[in-house]
Amino acid sequence: MLSWFLSGIRLPLVLATAALAADALFFANPYDMRILTLCGIYALLVLGFQFVFGHAGAVSLAQATFFGIGGYITGIVATHFGAGFLVTFPLSIAGPVLLAVVVGVPVLKLEEHYFSLATLGIGLVVLLLAIQWSDITGGTNGLPGIPSIDLAGLVLSDRRSVLYFVWGLVIVGCLISYQVTRGLYGQAFHLMREDRVAASALGLNIAHLRFAAFILSAAYGGAAGALMAHVIHVVSPENLDLALMVTCLTMTVIGGRTRIAGAILGAILIVHLREWFRVLENYYMIAYGLAALSVLILAPYGLVGAIERLRAMLFGRSPGPKPPSVSEQAPQAAPAGHYDHILAAENVTLAFGGVRALDGVSFTLRDGEIVGLIGPNGSGKTTLLNVISGLYVCDQGQVTFRGRDITGAPAHLISRRGIARTFQHIHLVDDLSALDNIALARAGIDGAGLLKAISTVGHDRLLERARRIAMAAAERLGITSVVMEPCGGLPYGTRRRVEVARAIATGPALVLLDEPAAGLNEQEQLDLAERIKTFAADGITVVVVEHNLVFLAALAERLICLDRGKVIAAGLPDAVRRDPAVIEAYLGLGASEPIPIAAGAP
Amino acid sequence: MITFLQLVINGLALGAAYALVALGFVFIVNATGAVNFAHGDLVMAGGYAAVGLGSLAQIPAVYFLPLVAVIMFVLGVALALLAYFPLINRPPSTVFISTLLCGIILQNAFVVLFGPQAHAAPPLLKSGVAHFGEIEISVQAIGTMVVAAILIASQYLLFTRTQIGRRLRATAEDRQMAQAVGIPAFALIAATFGLGTALAGIAGALLANQFFVYPTGGIPLSVYAYIAVVIGGWGSIAGAVIGAMIISLFQVVVSAYVSYAAATGLLYVTLLLIFVVRPQGIFGERVQRRA
Repeated sequence: MLSWFLSGIRLPLVLATAALAADALFFANPYDMRILTLCGIYALLVLGFQFVFGHAGAVSLAQATFFGIGGYITGIVATHFGAGFLVTFPLSIAGPVLLAVVVGVPVLKLEEHYFSLATLGIGLVVLLLAIQWSDITGGTNGLPGIPSIDLAGLVLSDRRSVLYFVWGLVIVGCLISYQVTRGLYGQAFHLMREDRVAASALGLNIAHLRFAAFILSAAYGGAAGALMAHVIHVVSPENLDLALMVTCLTMTVIGGRTRIAGAILGAILIVHLREWFRVLENYYMIAYGLAALSVLILAPYGLVGAIERLRAMLFGRSPGPKPPSVSEQAPQAAPAGHYDHILAAENVTLAFGGVRALDGVSFTLRDGEIVGLIGPNGSGKTTLLNVISGLYVCDQGQVTFRGRDITGAPAHLISRRGIARTFQHIHLVDDLSALDNIALARAGIDGAGLLKAISTVGHDRLLERARRIAMAAAERLGITSVVMEPCGGLPYGTRRRVEVARAIATGPALVLLDEPAAGLNEQEQLDLAERIKTFAADGITVVVVEHNLVFLAALAERLICLDRGKVIAAGLPDAVRRDPAVIEAYLGLGASEPIPIAAGAP
Repeated sequence: MITFLQLVINGLALGAAYALVALGFVFIVNATGAVNFAHGDLVMAGGYAAVGLGSLAQIPAVYFLPLVAVIMFVLGVALALLAYFPLINRPPSTVFISTLLCGIILQNAFVVLFGPQAHAAPPLLKSGVAHFGEIEISVQAIGTMVVAAILIASQYLLFTRTQIGRRLRATAEDRQMAQAVGIPAFALIAATFGLGTALAGIAGALLANQFFVYPTGGIPLSVYAYIAVVIGGWGSIAGAVIGAMIISLFQVVVSAYVSYAAATGLLYVTLLLIFVVRPQGIFGERVQRRA
């Protein structure tokens, strides 16, 4: 129990929470209570915004819109129909969620800057509606006379009860946020934010994750807006506008974009900063802007992130969870039915502009064989892997995996059907441990989802099982001694092995390894080759892209050689090595010696 | 018919002003890949500079326009030092937020320096209206169109025909690679912010005669510049000009038939529909993301 308090920044957080609670309970005058209530409302708004901006990594400018819509629904339903909180509050959450569902599908497909502008555009349309549709919304003046919170007859009329009620809801909001982010599902967001390519290659549906984050942010925004309408008894276009959006963004950036404590700290700090700087009169917004800009520059992870780093600097990193003591082999994705070849590529063609990166590539793979894919630089090896794993869509041709056509299927579905891969350039999350990087292989396949995450009680069994499977994969690659280290600090060769382990942890039928031996010394290469052979012994088909023929000679049963997007030779390693076309591609016209597999070999 | 033609002329005049606003925005996009959300506020800053200089000496703006450009160049370099360079290795959204904050600082600096009311700057040459048959057009609008045409052409030539332009594009594409081949990337980026801001300033000085400057006047301009660049295709100069024309088409021509608010709403709805149909912009090219 004591060690729980002492790890991370829990101790200062607990103390700060106690101080805040004591202030609210015993010392606050009515004015302070009003300010603290506003802090709670903004904290809810920011907690929601963290899902889309922090966890999904998308700069949405629609958070104030969700807030405003929630407020207007509460205002309209309460003043026009006299409904109580138990009716208006769920409606105020449902409205923004509905909007998010409708606009989410097209808007979330957009890249970075386009997404921001689209969400801004939605906000501006809603703002115009609120101003123009004055019969219902009260136009620029807004809707006054919104009643206090009425819980089926129990009216919260004094500031103290409103304060407690709002902060009660903030606690509920924190709990939901904690549930969503603490387990394997939360780590899936982490991977998606850092590296979309790796996330989809591991079977994560990025569109689903972003959609879930957007919906959650809308729900929180609506709830906060509804509370604001009750607390200040009026809702006006100011509840929807860009200034509020900027406030929300500033609070999130200053507090910390992925930490629950950050949302609360950001909200409390900014609300109070505005109060304190008011003495500066006209200069206060300038001071406020400069303060926010300084935090943005000096504390990339917000103030909470800065405190965490300070603690790590002063007291060292707190020991993370112990590695799981038992390991579990990854179950392999079952085939759909009978097939002749595990993978068959037929006339695969892909052009980038005028360059034919792949030009009518056809080949087949058998169950459990190890095939080397060779060819000079730029011959299309990695492009071919990208087409097979679904990162690129080919212009022509067909790819069949275990008897099913997977041409043009999205990467995450191909991964879930049993094709795993590694990358030429390492795609790992630096600040997660090696074990958790490997464990992320299970997030997509085991179906970590929003509702499952929220309803998890106690330990996240998905995460625990994923870590056991990750441990087994780490054992197969011989990296168990470093699994608890953050990946960013590991040596290059070890990180490559972490990637291979992650591919194996998906339980694949086919693994595509893109230059796994790059940067390894000879001893490490031999060791890796032996480990890869054990995959094949377990029935996993392996494709290895390599330049290093020494490494392949010890490993591959068959070679396929690409040159300028075409298969120029395929067969037993020795035959391919002596093939005139291969020699020409590698060594130039006129050479007649087979490509040496090692210095001094014939 | 004459009214419609008059509307189109008015639309073109406003479009030229918006194109000028978008031009500085797209300049910074092209050289750094960053969205400068303080851009509209920098346009206002240029307008205020013209107001301030104009109140000192009662002369047409054409004489002190170069001075406005120089002042704004310095402001742009300062913006780069404050809001871009410290964040150069962070995700692009960080620069979006830092410039947004700089915009807030600028807006409130305007209140402190010039008060909350609107100001007008002196005209470029003279005030008054020129008549072409039954069509009339203000001298300021003609001046704006001429200046816009000159600056658009120069920027296009700069990026496509000169070594500096190629270096700027190389820097935006991959800064480290550009540095590795000997391009002074940091100096170029600072100069880019300077020039982009100078363009914003000239736009502001021209706009400040007809449309006034006021502290929050820059916010819609940032949004328009952003929309123009997105409609036109990210980083395309010609696209940004067409995007600016489309915006003014809605604000002048469409709003003559429905209300101004409805025309603005239709503009945003059109933008969203463009996103649904063509997520890469009207003139943008769809490219496969390199894995």
